[in-house]
Amino acid sequence: MSEFTLWDIVYNLLLAARWTVLLSLTAFVLGGIVGLLLLMVRTAGNPWVMRLVRGYVELFQGTPLLMQLFIVFFGLPLIGIDVSPWIAAMLGLTLFTSAFLTEIWRGCVESIGLGQWEASASLGMNFRQQMRYIILPQALRIAVPPTVGFSVQVVKGTAVASIIGFVELTKAGTMITNATYAPFTVYGCVAVMYFLICFPLSLYARHLEGKLRHVAR
Amino acid sequence: MAYKFDFGAIVPHWELLLDGVVLTTELTVIGAVVGVSLGTLGAWARASRAPVISQIVGIYVELIRNTPFLVQLFFIFFGLPALGVKLSEFQAAVLAMIVNLGAYSTEIIRAGILAIPKGQIEAAQSLAMNRVQIFRYVIIRPALKKIWPALSSQIVIVMLGSSVCSQIAAEELTFAANYIQAVNFRAFEVYFVATALYLAMSVLLRWVLKIFGNFLFERRSHV
Amino acid sequence: MNKFLKSTIAAIAMIAAPLAGASAGALDTIKEAGVLKVAVPQDFPPFGTVGADMQPKGYDIDMAALIADDLGVKLELVPVASSNRIPYLTTGKVDLVISSLGKNPDREKVIDFTDPYAPFYNGVFGPADIAVKGAEDLAGHSVGVTRGAIEDLELTKIAPADLEIKRYEDNNGTISAFLSGQVDLIATGNVTAAAIIERNPPRKPEPKFLIKNSPCYVGLNKEEEAFKAKVNEIIAASIADGRLNAIAEKWLGIPLPEKL
Repeated sequence: MSEFTLWDIVYNLLLAARWTVLLSLTAFVLGGIVGLLLLMVRTAGNPWVMRLVRGYVELFQGTPLLMQLFIVFFGLPLIGIDVSPWIAAMLGLTLFTSAFLTEIWRGCVESIGLGQWEASASLGMNFRQQMRYIILPQALRIAVPPTVGFSVQVVKGTAVASIIGFVELTKAGTMITNATYAPFTVYGCVAVMYFLICFPLSLYARHLEGKLRHVAR
Repeated sequence: MAYKFDFGAIVPHWELLLDGVVLTTELTVIGAVVGVSLGTLGAWARASRAPVISQIVGIYVELIRNTPFLVQLFFIFFGLPALGVKLSEFQAAVLAMIVNLGAYSTEIIRAGILAIPKGQIEAAQSLAMNRVQIFRYVIIRPALKKIWPALSSQIVIVMLGSSVCSQIAAEELTFAANYIQAVNFRAFEVYFVATALYLAMSVLLRWVLKIFGNFLFERRSHV
Repeated sequence: MNKFLKSTIAAIAMIAAPLAGASAGALDTIKEAGVLKVAVPQDFPPFGTVGADMQPKGYDIDMAALIADDLGVKLELVPVASSNRIPYLTTGKVDLVISSLGKNPDREKVIDFTDPYAPFYNGVFGPADIAVKGAEDLAGHSVGVTRGAIEDLELTKIAPADLEIKRYEDNNGTISAFLSGQVDLIATGNVTAAAIIERNPPRKPEPKFLIKNSPCYVGLNKEEEAFKAKVNEIIAASIADGRLNAIAEKWLGIPLPEKL
């Protein structure tokens, strides 16, 4: 079936890539907000809340994103809540991303010496002030490179959103392959497009990392 | 839409699910062992003073890290036969996991190596250790110890990522789940069960890696 | 273990139960909304695939359009994959699944099926000048088949002693063997035969006899008797007036068999 020209393939993949970008941005922004909230409540130190957050992280890091999206999109209607694909994607990707980000950032916060906490406490700062003025500014600097690095994972992770009906880059690739029987051309283009989205992010992460190391010396 | 759950409909297919769990485990274990070994070599190459090798490894790492696993899998499964290498679904899946984890662990282990203070290496040199000895005793073991948590996470991610191998008909857990729902249309039930199995496997895998890490680094730290 | 499962099921069923009462007849809901939502495949040519504009097309899509037309409502296509087509239906996100569904007793416990609307079978195919009507006529001929496929297993069971079965590694091998005349006949699915006919070769694989028949049905939710009767009526009418036959010839290259 030669009705697809190379241009048709590239053009349709580019259209689908918009979904990949949009889904990634949504996941990253919302996941970041929720991840930050989780980090706060976790660091605040109530042991029950800590355990709860740990369970949350364990659950969403320990199951495939595909299954999470499936259960959100098709499971919620069964208990009477109908969700649109957009809501389901936002919800599922946010849960997933926040679990990872919270864990990455926890490591960064924990790498700040205990002395910093004690010193700021001795200045009479409360938890919010400690976070705001002492811990987060330092943790943030360490956190940026792995966070940008993780964004690459999110971009690639959005491929599973096809289970709930999004025709993003990978799905479009499969559909066109099935119509053209030209897996090499199509998946070659798909790979190139992912690379073009992800590689700048990777480079940026590396650049930030280098800068950080430089400052640290 | 009066959907009635019937988890009993899954029971006759339990052997398929079990086979799936076994195959996912096999993929993960082989992928982890060979992949991390490859990553260690890669990290060595990256740290070595031979710029060409270091650059080739760098390109490999970037290519793999910036493209989806599924696409890598397709290239190995459909691409290598064109070069005359015929692979079974399982072989292709294992190879893809190794290549993927190899790239990630190269990067992770390299970060650990960069964190080793230069003084340590200089001290070892002054003890007249050769390059292999230095790499083995002064660099790689402390580096691995430092990055073991990150490496463990990556191995769990790769284990979950192996679900994609169902697309080339490697009969791992997701393939089994898809197959069962195609036979009896009980998609909810079977995906719930598969999700629970994945969760159990990842909790278990994390635990095993932790114990293994302790064994590797604590007991022999005096060497 | 089983006891635990059962009580879990009971608990979930109780949560789900109130939903059931709420649904009016699907047929009324569709007419009221003026839209029929149909789940169709987009990765299974010729039943469902995409054109250069990424719009779904194929046998199943034409069938969906036909049903929407006869109901006098607009059609909304929802592209699905085999892993999610049934949840789309059971959660009420679509009204019908037209996705080359085959029927089996386990599946019938989950959803309902209408009458068949498309042929899907494995059979023996060959050029018009070879007169073969059943397995017993195969003696003295050679048949190409893909190793290990359903038709290989079934044909081996019914083959006469002096039939020469030539097994090839994959579908492409089987197809080439037939086209080049290395074998007189091939045993394969009607979909593969359709793919060969589309290439317009000098040796056309015409259907000789069936090996295994599992036609496609339209899937819909349970307890929708009025809706089911209406869809069955539409299928019967479209068979009678030749519209379904036109769809079959367009996508499968072969007219509808006498009985689906």
